[in-house]
Amino acid sequence: MIEVNNVTKKFGEFKALDELNMHVERGAIYGLVGPNGAGKSTIIRHLCGDFKQDSGSITIDGQTVYENTLLKQRFTVIPDDIFYFTQANTMDMMKFYKNMYPKFDEALFKKIMDCFPAVPPKKMVRSLSKGMQKQVAFMLSIAARPELMILDEPVDGLDPVMRRQIWSLIMSDVAENGLTVLVSSHNLRELEDVCDHVGIMNNGKILIERSLDELQTSITKIQIAFDGEMPALPDNIEVLKKISTGRVHTLIVKGEPRAAEQALSAMNPLLMDVLPLTLEEIFIYELGGENYAVKDIIF
Amino acid sequence: MQSKTSFFNLALFKKNISRTWIVGLLYFVVLLIFMPISMVISLSNFDQSWYVDSGYTKSLLMIENFSTTWVAEWGFVVSMVVAAITFWYLFSKRDNYMMHAFPVSRTSLYFTGIISSSIIALVPVILNAVILTIVAAAEHAYIFDVIWYFTFGVCVSTILFLSIAMFSLMASGQIVPGIVFYIIFNVLYLLMDVAFRITSGILLFGMTEATSYRKASVFTPVEFITNNCGVVLNKYYDNVGNVKSYTYTMGGAGYLIAYLVAAVVIFAITYFIYKAKKLETVQDFIAVPFLKPVFTIGMSFFISMVAGALIAGMVDAVKVQMYSVRFAIAIVAALIIGAIVFYASIMLIEKTVRVFSGKTFSFFLGYSALALVILIGMRCDVLKIENKVPKAQDIAWVGISSSYTMVFTDEEEIQSIRELHKNFIDDKKELRDVSVLYKDLPGSYLTFKYKLNNGKVIARTYEVVDTESELVSATYLAATEPILDYLNNPSRIKQHVIGNIWDNCDVTEMSFSTYTYDKEHNDFFSNNETFDYLTDKEKQEKFGKVYEAFLKDIDEGSVYTTSFGLKDYYGRDSEYLYNDFNFTVFNKNIPYFSDEQRFWEWDDDSQYYQNIYAQMTRQCVNTLKALKDEGFYTDESQIITYKEYSDTVGDSEGGYIY
Repeated sequence: MIEVNNVTKKFGEFKALDELNMHVERGAIYGLVGPNGAGKSTIIRHLCGDFKQDSGSITIDGQTVYENTLLKQRFTVIPDDIFYFTQANTMDMMKFYKNMYPKFDEALFKKIMDCFPAVPPKKMVRSLSKGMQKQVAFMLSIAARPELMILDEPVDGLDPVMRRQIWSLIMSDVAENGLTVLVSSHNLRELEDVCDHVGIMNNGKILIERSLDELQTSITKIQIAFDGEMPALPDNIEVLKKISTGRVHTLIVKGEPRAAEQALSAMNPLLMDVLPLTLEEIFIYELGGENYAVKDIIF
Repeated sequence: MQSKTSFFNLALFKKNISRTWIVGLLYFVVLLIFMPISMVISLSNFDQSWYVDSGYTKSLLMIENFSTTWVAEWGFVVSMVVAAITFWYLFSKRDNYMMHAFPVSRTSLYFTGIISSSIIALVPVILNAVILTIVAAAEHAYIFDVIWYFTFGVCVSTILFLSIAMFSLMASGQIVPGIVFYIIFNVLYLLMDVAFRITSGILLFGMTEATSYRKASVFTPVEFITNNCGVVLNKYYDNVGNVKSYTYTMGGAGYLIAYLVAAVVIFAITYFIYKAKKLETVQDFIAVPFLKPVFTIGMSFFISMVAGALIAGMVDAVKVQMYSVRFAIAIVAALIIGAIVFYASIMLIEKTVRVFSGKTFSFFLGYSALALVILIGMRCDVLKIENKVPKAQDIAWVGISSSYTMVFTDEEEIQSIRELHKNFIDDKKELRDVSVLYKDLPGSYLTFKYKLNNGKVIARTYEVVDTESELVSATYLAATEPILDYLNNPSRIKQHVIGNIWDNCDVTEMSFSTYTYDKEHNDFFSNNETFDYLTDKEKQEKFGKVYEAFLKDIDEGSVYTTSFGLKDYYGRDSEYLYNDFNFTVFNKNIPYFSDEQRFWEWDDDSQYYQNIYAQMTRQCVNTLKALKDEGFYTDESQIITYKEYSDTVGDSEGGYIY
């Protein structure tokens, strides 16, 4: 759905995006992760049609985004710092969205509102708490019936209860309507449970872009112990990292987990245990050998 | 598939109106108070007011109000306020990004904003005009053309200022500089003009009054529209000062249409700037790239030019410098100050003090070379400012002012003055330094003032010194004596110093103060013979005889003669009499219009009389004899000079006159 090819953007002498490539499939929940200053908000503003790239191409469903009103009617954006008109209450904003988005579903909006009784519909939105303002933003966005939601740090600064509430709102919409979600965060843990695709950004580039399934089947953690010294491993097993504690060895193995398990079983270990890796561990091991500030991205 | 272009978005329009309607309401209330309510109050007791006795009608009173009311200033303020609120999102990163992320094009944002702003700024004006029309009709003052022409002027200026406001808001990424730019753009021509005039006034020969005769320029609409595009009222008075009749015109319609066209062009330019605007320029001091060097060069040049001239002027105040030295000081100072302002403005634009680089230095060198060329160009009078003498066919009248003021409209006389002026300028290399070359000689000032047919004024004022001194050169005498000869011609003195009715008037009043020394108080008692026992006719006969004698003294060159040797016209020296002599000339059929009035362009409200003052000397033998013969004084001891007064009372400053 989203195709970003070789996009470069400079602010003066500073290169904010550097030949960036990013691809988001329809129906995916794509997590864009990177440290502060990586360029996440910059690429999101290109996708919103705010910025125009210096070079490269950005398309959504094959159409350029910049100044494309009809295309923009098909997606909504929730920035980290949400904008509401001065003096406007939730209902005023609803009317504005209703006029802006042809597919806006007022009935759905009211239904969602019922789920959030704490949000006062007649109170000026700018005077609400940050969490309530986010809730209003999601209510408005979901009711607009978008095909794509672009979320920039959607739960940043919210307490855990509010985060869970917001995510459940998004996930239910994804499940019901099959919309595509592009969500940025500077914290990988935030996205681990919700994304099916992840792209990691740093210094204006996408360092790695994979589906979660692909990642989880491409790397395995195996704890293994032998009677005596560990024999030499077969050539077809690529070990990214090995940690030994006594006779127990922890191997991070790249490749198909089942194949690695079979190859190691053939070496008659005293015990062998295949353990799941967290997303952040996968990225550490994937990129750890390269000269990137991966720890900064993940932690 | 690209989106279709839409110029209007109802949701945005509603949003804009919901944010700005309060401004429109306030504007309407202010207009209501200043115009309809104010007029209703003025007209409420009209029949009992002094207006009726003065010849006023309700229509005249209302027209007079419109002729003096702001036309442009209303729109100037309201346009900026409404535009700033409507396009506020351009100055906040959050608002800016979100507004442009909505499914709405910049075309829609721009034109919808303009439409909503225009409605808020114009509807109160039109409603006000409707109410004024009702008030006028109710008062039977049928001046609807005036009301609606005034309204047209306010509407056009509002649209123009809205376009300038839009341009200014696009030019900056910050709201405060945006508003400052709006003010600057509106008076940009005025600022540049004043900067050049201040510099010229200090540095150029004869330009000391460069700042005095500035005329509202069409490029400064806030000033020009009110002065030239409103209702112009002309009142005509009878000989007792009551309004006899009046006419009014609605001027500047052509200019208003031109301004409307200009507004459309500015809106179009601004639209393209908005279309190309990079949103990352939010919070930048200047958001439009091509304006950055313009700002830097403009600021540096004009500030440094004026500052350089002021520094040269300050040095001159400490010790008078030769023309070339003064200019050299100004150029050096301007280049130094220009360097400071240049880098300061780049720091302001780039929001950093780290602006010193090879690139900016090259830019600075280019700017400095340009500034140097312009300043040297001024020194060499490339634009022929110092040498300017207008063509005879362009001149409506020419005035010369030194001891007295004379204005000439006759073609032949205009040509003569031009020749005198040209002859004077030809020797400017010496004349421009008289204050240094002849610093010990008494001097005064000589002004040539040309009023052109297009309304512009060209005035040159020169320092001149005593021509009777042996120290002055032959060149100086050749340049100045013909002017003195011209001014001291008795016929011209009578026509131009007494005034147009000098030979066709009654002398209705005359006063001559006499002084008698009082030893006890060590001062002089003053006395004026008023002839109260005489009838008006007898008085006029008496005054007429003195007037005849006075004219004879003018013919003999004893009074109203110009000399360049006195800086203080009223100097208390051995020649001037302490006795005051003045009289009133009157002609009930011919309005009095003196040269002085015309020269200084005072109100031309016609009057039929004028009080004339004459500084007498003992050489005015004919007048003094006539005054004595007619009983204004009896003894020669009652006539004293300033010097005699000071010598007698022993106080050079003079004492009280009883």
